[in-house]
Amino acid sequence: MNPALEIAGRIRAGQTTAVEVARAALARAEAQNPRVNAFTALLPERAMAEAAAVDARIAAGEALGPLAGVPYAVKNLFDLAGLTTLAGSKVLRGNPAAARDCFLVRQLHAAGAVCLGALNMDEFAYGFTTENSHYGPARNPHDLTRIAGGSSGGSGAAVAAGLVPLSLGTDTNGSIRVPSSLNGLFGVKPTYSRLSRHGSFPFVYALDHVGPFARSVADLAACYDALQGLDAEDPHQAPRAPEAVTPGLGAGLAGLRVARLGGWFGKRQSDAARRAVAAVAAALGASAEVEWAMAEACRAAAFTITSSEGATLHLPTLRTQLEDYEPLIVDRLLAGAMLPAAWVNHAQRVRALAAAQMREVMADWDVLIAPATPVPATPIGQETLELDGETLPLRPSMGLFTQPISGVGLPVVTVPVQRAEGVMPIGVQLIGKPWTEALLFRAAAALEAAGVCAAPVAPAFAAGAV
Amino acid sequence: MLDPEFDPAAHVAAAAPMVGLKLDAARQAKVAAALALVVRTAAPALAVQLAPSDEPAPVFRP
Repeated sequence: MNPALEIAGRIRAGQTTAVEVARAALARAEAQNPRVNAFTALLPERAMAEAAAVDARIAAGEALGPLAGVPYAVKNLFDLAGLTTLAGSKVLRGNPAAARDCFLVRQLHAAGAVCLGALNMDEFAYGFTTENSHYGPARNPHDLTRIAGGSSGGSGAAVAAGLVPLSLGTDTNGSIRVPSSLNGLFGVKPTYSRLSRHGSFPFVYALDHVGPFARSVADLAACYDALQGLDAEDPHQAPRAPEAVTPGLGAGLAGLRVARLGGWFGKRQSDAARRAVAAVAAALGASAEVEWAMAEACRAAAFTITSSEGATLHLPTLRTQLEDYEPLIVDRLLAGAMLPAAWVNHAQRVRALAAAQMREVMADWDVLIAPATPVPATPIGQETLELDGETLPLRPSMGLFTQPISGVGLPVVTVPVQRAEGVMPIGVQLIGKPWTEALLFRAAAALEAAGVCAAPVAPAFAAGAV
Repeated sequence: MLDPEFDPAAHVAAAAPMVGLKLDAARQAKVAAALALVVRTAAPALAVQLAPSDEPAPVFRP
């Protein structure tokens, strides 16, 4: 099952049209979105126009991109021409509409994909739960009383509910990997600076990544390959040519050296997380365990940098529109604005030291395995987690295992293990060396082929899924 | 790096005007609680001993 590629295949084969697919997807999103609150804006005119253009190109006999006619949606911090970019906030509501699409949306347009709209998120991407006080919480399609994760919660819920087969999100400290885990999806956070983030609303310049969600590895790979490309307008992007991952998906596990990450990554987690990691490790033949001693320090460094940089960005509006901010984050933002420069400078040096240590840890390995989240999705409104006898604040703790990895910019494909705890799925991180996304996709494809990992639509939404 | 006697409430009261924030007493108390959490979470990074040769992570590419 590769829902996105199958839609494109049916359109290419003349079994349906892009317009028919878009019309059905819009009707489904209209009907089902109130259950999950994934979309904050549906764009029927735009979607129908894009779909009609795809059909016109087919009729003219033109070559089409791999995602021709495939519906998708984006976290509402990505610019969509004609729509105000909210980044989950009330503060930005008065801004003018975006004049043009962001780079990644232009890439997907060039591949023939059809944008249905914008998706819910934690305000300014500062959270792991998408309990957005302005627009309501995104709900987990596997259990509507539970969180969809965050900050790209709408991006996860929309794909798991079968409203779209592909979505885009961002990941500063775990915001693609956490919703991938909690909604049971495949997601990729590429190497830092791999993909252009131009035209997306920033959170933390030093740590922001962008990437897609999907329900199959081949769909994720096709989307990721379409997103790759050099953007002269993005000063952060590495000057590195695209490296397609789709051609290598079937290469199997031969020659891949895989180990489990222990230490920090072996503590403070549920049995569900432990079982999921064990299942993935067994399937990948990972018997060795390695330790990255600076994981906790790196997580703390990323947290410190996030607190300060994230807050500084908002200082002008914190001074003038304080009451318009999300109550769940405003005090953290204000506190972050007051951190001493000495702490932030120290944290940036710790991060570099941690990256050097991780290079040594990874020298003999291609893929490291770690939990994506300590627990499956928790009830909306829950404040704390009990892990290893400790009571931890839930919202920051969902990123315990993702934050150290993005702190050093490594690529990660998150793979889902279904029914890890009752009906709820949970994700496992496949972590690679910089620029080795293709190896991670290979491992993910092998796990999917072996039946260890899968990302079906949540059962309550299966009928009529897109 | 952190003095054990660090007082988040006093820091918030002193630092808020420095960054142009006017916060009432109730808000200051909430921000002090948030700062205390930041301090606890940041502590493992602040405890790392660094050498002068340990350069920071960001790379400026002119």
